[in-house]
Amino acid sequence: MSRRYLALSLPWLPLDRLRRLDPSLVDRPLASWAIQGPRRQLVAADAPGLVPGQAVADAQAIQPDLVLFPADPAQDAALLERLALWTMRFTPLVAVDRTEGLLLDATGATALLGGEEQFVVAVTNRFRQDGFRLRAAMASIAGAAAALARESRQDRIIPPGQERDAIDPLPLIALRLPPDMIRSLGRMGLHRIGQLCRQPRGPLTRRFGRVLMDALDHATGDRPQPMQPVRPIATFQAARHCLEPIVTRPAIDQAVEALLTEICRALLEASRGARRLTLRAFRVDHHVQEITIGTGAPTRDAAHLVRLFAGKLDQLEPDLGFERLTMDAHSTDTLDGQQSSMARRDGASAADTAALTELLDRLEQRVAVYRMLPMESHWPEYAAAPATPYDRIVLPPNWGNETRPVRLLAEPLALAVTAELPDGTPVQLRYGSHLHRVLYCIGPERLEPEWWGHDAARPSRDYFRVQTAEGPRLWVCRLGEPNVLPPRWFLHGYLA
Amino acid sequence: MPASPALLHDLRQRLSQIERGLGEAAFPPVPLCPALDRHLPEHGLARGALHDVLAADPGAALGFCAVVLGRLETPALWIAPEADAVWPAGLQSLGLCISQLILVRYRRPAEGLWAMEEALRSPGIGGAVLQTSHLDLIAARRLQLAAEATGNIGLLLRPATEVRNPSNAVTRWQAASLPNPQAAPHWQWNLLRSRGGQPTPWQVTCTPGGVLQAHAP
Repeated sequence: MSRRYLALSLPWLPLDRLRRLDPSLVDRPLASWAIQGPRRQLVAADAPGLVPGQAVADAQAIQPDLVLFPADPAQDAALLERLALWTMRFTPLVAVDRTEGLLLDATGATALLGGEEQFVVAVTNRFRQDGFRLRAAMASIAGAAAALARESRQDRIIPPGQERDAIDPLPLIALRLPPDMIRSLGRMGLHRIGQLCRQPRGPLTRRFGRVLMDALDHATGDRPQPMQPVRPIATFQAARHCLEPIVTRPAIDQAVEALLTEICRALLEASRGARRLTLRAFRVDHHVQEITIGTGAPTRDAAHLVRLFAGKLDQLEPDLGFERLTMDAHSTDTLDGQQSSMARRDGASAADTAALTELLDRLEQRVAVYRMLPMESHWPEYAAAPATPYDRIVLPPNWGNETRPVRLLAEPLALAVTAELPDGTPVQLRYGSHLHRVLYCIGPERLEPEWWGHDAARPSRDYFRVQTAEGPRLWVCRLGEPNVLPPRWFLHGYLA
Repeated sequence: MPASPALLHDLRQRLSQIERGLGEAAFPPVPLCPALDRHLPEHGLARGALHDVLAADPGAALGFCAVVLGRLETPALWIAPEADAVWPAGLQSLGLCISQLILVRYRRPAEGLWAMEEALRSPGIGGAVLQTSHLDLIAARRLQLAAEATGNIGLLLRPATEVRNPSNAVTRWQAASLPNPQAAPHWQWNLLRSRGGQPTPWQVTCTPGGVLQAHAP
């Protein structure tokens, strides 16, 4: 069975977007403009006698009451992508086609709505109801469908095998060639795609380069262009279509649970576990909301996944209700009988390990969870580095044997220190409003920077373990900067 | 007839079983050191319960929590609002291995309480520390119920100013440093409150590896 593509062309998208934002513009002539070189030109226009590319001054002379807006390509592109996501409710494979079109791979999806004609009507009606004007064409070649959608007067469905005949009378502008090239081809008497197809390819390629042949081959299907879907298609998918739009939280919870149960059953059959899941909620007003969760270890425990989603479902804004919910497992790992991703001491049961993984998954949805990985460095703040909680920890020999503080300040506090001698042990420390008298002092422990590291040029440090008369045991540091007198002191941590 | 210690212990066990629900085995307590264990009514720090630690001095309070977590020999969670709340290289010598420690950083106090409750409810870990200065009785009660269900030990590490703010913890400690000319940590652990026991101040010395020696002055 050949593939079937539905191309949608939305040339008035920028204007429809403005009219949806401000309904008072509905019956007034409207245009958007942008600066092209030295002059202001129309980008999209919606009034008799106006065409894109016209100068703004000319347009205003033709239509004195023309409403003008500056063009906003970024907003238009965002809207087009949003529409593409929303169109995924009809078929899972949807691509954005340049700046004004959508391409749907409708293979196998048309039967769900009762046939190709009904499918096209269902898609276009939903767009038109919401104030988007468009033309649609369905064909077995994506390029042909796109060309037809752009240049036909009404929606068309081309039976398989008749695409060449259908695009034969279309003007060359349907191929979206650069304007200069269309003008040059016109001077040679070539105005329609059919005429171009009958020309020998060699001279055309020599004269116009690869661009022309690429466009032609994509339209005729000799070299079809691969589709780049807005969202990659997931191996494991589940979908629920709601008869009535759902609004309430219990209804959403129920639907999510049903979706997850379905996905987990599919995962079990494939001996796989989910790592990332995305819930897509299609709202009735062409809006799609996505919620993604990740797990630390592959899982197919529906109850666990429901709990992970539970915290995030608050972000959904049902507004007028969701008409369709889909669940994609777009990242999965093999998961056989048991999991053993955590490094655990012997004797810990698999159930405990699974419970720990589930706990970490739940925590990671709301707070930062990490481990400290021991590093082989004598420089105090490099002795450990944050890592994910699933990283395997291997203790280097003799790691942690030096006396180090139980809390190491990320930003050391500058100290005002009174010492007996300029390079002697401290007698009194002051930081902020705290004044500490020194009872005992052990040190110095001199640390030199690692010459092979980035900070070889830093000054050496002399560390002192200080027992204060007030109680706290502090780890203070004197910088060995040459030519700095008196030396600078810092509080770097609290000792146990 | 004076009650014998064995009889009292037996009665306490039966009472605690009734409190927890019938037929459930009591969790073995976490041993600290012989002198302290003899003094505490559960013969150690009770599991499945909350313990309040007031930090008169930051290092000593962190040391207390590290020593307790190190004795669990299961993974443990340290839930704190700052990223630099605890430095694992210093905990190693107190007996808490870096491979057993998972750190959690929260932003809002409610998130910290939520994370603590999730941790105490999970059979995957043995205990958790929550560093917070926002704790009310309802939140503490929720944590207590969560800990009872699994037998996890919960430590609430709070600033010393919270001494006026009561909680339903089984024991309440105030940890401070004592001057010690040697390098070994030397602490004053004030047992301020102990359910079914006597409040006593303790002087504790910790030798490398987390072995404790305690005596009441």
